[in-house]
Amino acid sequence: MNALITISVLAVLVLYLGLYKANKALLPVTLLGLAVALFFTINHWNVFTGPTFNDMMSYDNFAVAFSGITITSTMLILLLSKGYFEKISDHVAEYYSIILFSLAGILVMVSYHNMTMLFIGIEIMSVSLYILAGIRKQDFASNEAALKYFLMGAFSTGFLLFGVALIYGAAHSFDLEAIKMHLETNLQTGQAISPLFYTGVVLMAVGMAFKVGAAPFHFWTPDVYEGSPSLITAFMSTVVKTAGFAAFLRLFATCFYPLHDFWMPVILVITIITLFAGNITALYQNNFKRMLAWSSISHAGYMLFAIVSLGSEASYGVFVYAIAYSAASIIAFAGLVLMQANTGSDSFDSFNGLGRKNPFLAFTLTVAMLSLAGIPLTAGFIGKFIMFSNALSSMHTWLVVLAVINAVISIFYYFRVIVAMYFKDAERAELEIPLNFKVVLAISVVATILIGIWPAFLPNVI
Amino acid sequence: MAVFYLVAFLSIFFSLLVIFSKNPVHSVIYLIITFFTFTIHYVLLNAQFLAIVNFIVYMGAIMVLFLYVLMLLDLNVNSEPVKSSLMKIAGIVAGMCLLVTLAGALKGSGFLPAGAHEEVVQRPNLGLVKNLGQVLFHDFLLPFEVSSLLLLSAMVGAVLLAKREPREI
Amino acid sequence: MEAQSTAINYLPIIFQILVALGFAVGTMAVTHMIGPKRKTSDKLTPFEAGIKVVGNARQPFSVKYFLVAILFVLFDVEVIFMYPWAVNFRELGSTGMIEMFIFMGTLLLGFFYIIKKKALDWD
Repeated sequence: MNALITISVLAVLVLYLGLYKANKALLPVTLLGLAVALFFTINHWNVFTGPTFNDMMSYDNFAVAFSGITITSTMLILLLSKGYFEKISDHVAEYYSIILFSLAGILVMVSYHNMTMLFIGIEIMSVSLYILAGIRKQDFASNEAALKYFLMGAFSTGFLLFGVALIYGAAHSFDLEAIKMHLETNLQTGQAISPLFYTGVVLMAVGMAFKVGAAPFHFWTPDVYEGSPSLITAFMSTVVKTAGFAAFLRLFATCFYPLHDFWMPVILVITIITLFAGNITALYQNNFKRMLAWSSISHAGYMLFAIVSLGSEASYGVFVYAIAYSAASIIAFAGLVLMQANTGSDSFDSFNGLGRKNPFLAFTLTVAMLSLAGIPLTAGFIGKFIMFSNALSSMHTWLVVLAVINAVISIFYYFRVIVAMYFKDAERAELEIPLNFKVVLAISVVATILIGIWPAFLPNVI
Repeated sequence: MAVFYLVAFLSIFFSLLVIFSKNPVHSVIYLIITFFTFTIHYVLLNAQFLAIVNFIVYMGAIMVLFLYVLMLLDLNVNSEPVKSSLMKIAGIVAGMCLLVTLAGALKGSGFLPAGAHEEVVQRPNLGLVKNLGQVLFHDFLLPFEVSSLLLLSAMVGAVLLAKREPREI
Repeated sequence: MEAQSTAINYLPIIFQILVALGFAVGTMAVTHMIGPKRKTSDKLTPFEAGIKVVGNARQPFSVKYFLVAILFVLFDVEVIFMYPWAVNFRELGSTGMIEMFIFMGTLLLGFFYIIKKKALDWD
C-alpha cells in the first residue's frame, strides 16, 4: 500500500513541479520516488498475512514480485527518457506524471483481491495509456494510435465489466476468495453452477485477452505500437504487458481455478492462434518497430502457457519470462530510439554495419535478440524452458511442439537484425550513445545474461 | 411485470433506432431516450441512487459531451465510407453469435440466478442512497479513494490533449 | 431506522412529468391550431430582414468548448459521490469526513492544476 501511496503522491508532485517550472528536477525526483516505492514494495516480501483493506488488496509475494518488475522496468524506461519528451512538447511534467498514474493503476492490477479493484486498476492504467499514445498531437500516426487504442480499449473494458457483472450475479460477490468458495462448494455438493458464471468467465477472458494483446483480439496492437512515441511503446510492451499477465494469471489461477476444465480449451485456442499470428506476421515486416510489435504478440502467446497449464510453476514462469522479455525489449527499444534519433529511420537496413562502428550497442542488441529468440545462456531461454516444462508436466505435449516450431520461426526475424548489424556493410557515422543509455543497456544485458547462466538467482517462492 | 415489459420493449426499440438512423444527431437523441428508459428500469428495481446517477451523469453530462464530439466533426461532407455488404454480414453473424451465447446462458439459468431474487425481495432497500453510502464508505472505501486517481489522470490528460498550444511564430 | 422507499413512491413524480410534458405539448399544439397561417415564400425564409444566409450551421467548432465540457463531466462524477456521503454524514462521523477530504483533496489538486495551466481561460 505504501508503494501505491508513494507513486500517487509522486505523480501529483511531479505535476506541480512542472507547473512551477522546475523541469530540471523532474527526472531525478521521479527516479528517487520510484526507488522509494521499490523499497516499500520489497519490504512486503514474505510478510503476507492475508488480504487487507476490507479484503480489497492482497500484498502476497506474487504482488510484490510483479510490482518489483514493473517499477524497475519503469525506472529503466524513464532513465532513457532524458531529453526525449522535450523534443515532443513543452509539457514534459505531464508525461512523467501520467506514466506514474499508469504505474499506480498497474500496482493495483497486480495486487487486487476484489473485482472492483481489478476494474479500477485496469481503467487507471488504460486511460493514462490512451493519453500517452496520442501525445504527439501534430502527428497523424500518433492520433490514429490514440483513437484506435481508446475505441478498442473501451470496447474490451465493456466485455470485462459485463463479465464481472454476470459473475457477481451468479456468485453474489466481487471477492476472489468468495467466488472461489462459491465454485468449490457448488462443485462438491453437486449443485449446478449458474450458466451466467460460465458466460462471465468467457467474457472476462475476452476482455483480458484484449488488454494483453492476444490473438484474435490483437488487431489494435501493431498500429498502436507503431504510432505511439517509441519510449511509450517500450512502456506499453514491457510494463503494461507484464501487469496484464499478472492480473490475468491472478484471476484465473486463484479465482476460476475450479473451473479449469471449462476455460482451459478456450485459452488453449487463443494461445495457439496468438503464437502463429504473431510469429508469421513478424516474418514479413521490414520495419524494426513493427516487427517488435508483432513479436510482442507472439510473446503474449508464450506467456499464456502459464495460464493454460497452471502448474505449481505458473507464477514463477510468468515472473521469469516477464523479466527476460522486459529486459530484452528495453534494450531493443533503446536501440530503436537511438537509431530514430540519429538516422530518422527504423527499417532493418538502418542497422547495416552497426557492428563495426558501435560494437557495444551492437553487442547489447545481439544479446537482446538472442534472448527474445530463446537461445540458451540468455534469460529468454530460461523463461521459455520453464513455460514449456510446465506445459509438458500438465500433458500438453503437442502444444509444446507447436510452440517450438514457432520459436524456430522467430529465430529468422530476430536474426535479420543481427545479420544486418554484422554482415552487411554500409557507410555510416558512429552513433553517439549518451551515458544514460549506456547505463540502461548495461543493466539490462547483465540481467539477461545473469538469469540465463544462473537462474537460481531469482527467488522461487511466489 | 407489465411495466417492465413495456419499458424493456422501449429500450430495445430506441437502441435499434440509435444504430439505424442516418443522422448522427438523431442517433444521440435516441440514445438519450434509451438512457431514460434505463433510468426507469433502475427505479423499477428500486436502485434509486443508480437511477439518479444515470439521469444526471449519463443523460445529462455524457450525452452533452457526445453532441459536442459530433459538432467537432465536419458533418457536411458525406465522408463516411460505404461499408461492403460482406463486412455487414460478418458483423451481423458475429453479433448474433454473441446474442445466442448470452441468451442461452440466461435461458439455462431460468432467467434469474438462484438466490438473487430472494435477495431483492428480502432486502428491498438495497439500492437506496443511504444504504449504498454505508457500503461505499466502509467496504468499498479503497476503490472509492483510488477512483480519485482515475479522475485526476483523466483531468490531466484532457488538459494535455485538448489545450491549444500557443502558436509558435 | 433504515431508509425505506419503493418504486410506488415515484408515482407523483411521474404525474408531475406528465403534467409538465402535457402542458408544453398542449400549448404548442393549441397555438398551431388556433393561430392564423399565411404561407408565402417571404414568410417561410429563415430571416426576413438583414443579410443573406451564408452556408449552414454545421461547422466544426473549436476544441475549447469540448475541454470545458469534459472537465464539467469529471467534476460532475465527483459530485455524484458526495450524495451518499452527505446522506450518511452523521453516521460516518469524523472518519467519513477524513475519507471524503482525501478524495476531494486529490481532485482539488487537479482543479488547481487546471486553473494554473489556464485551461479555462478564453483567449
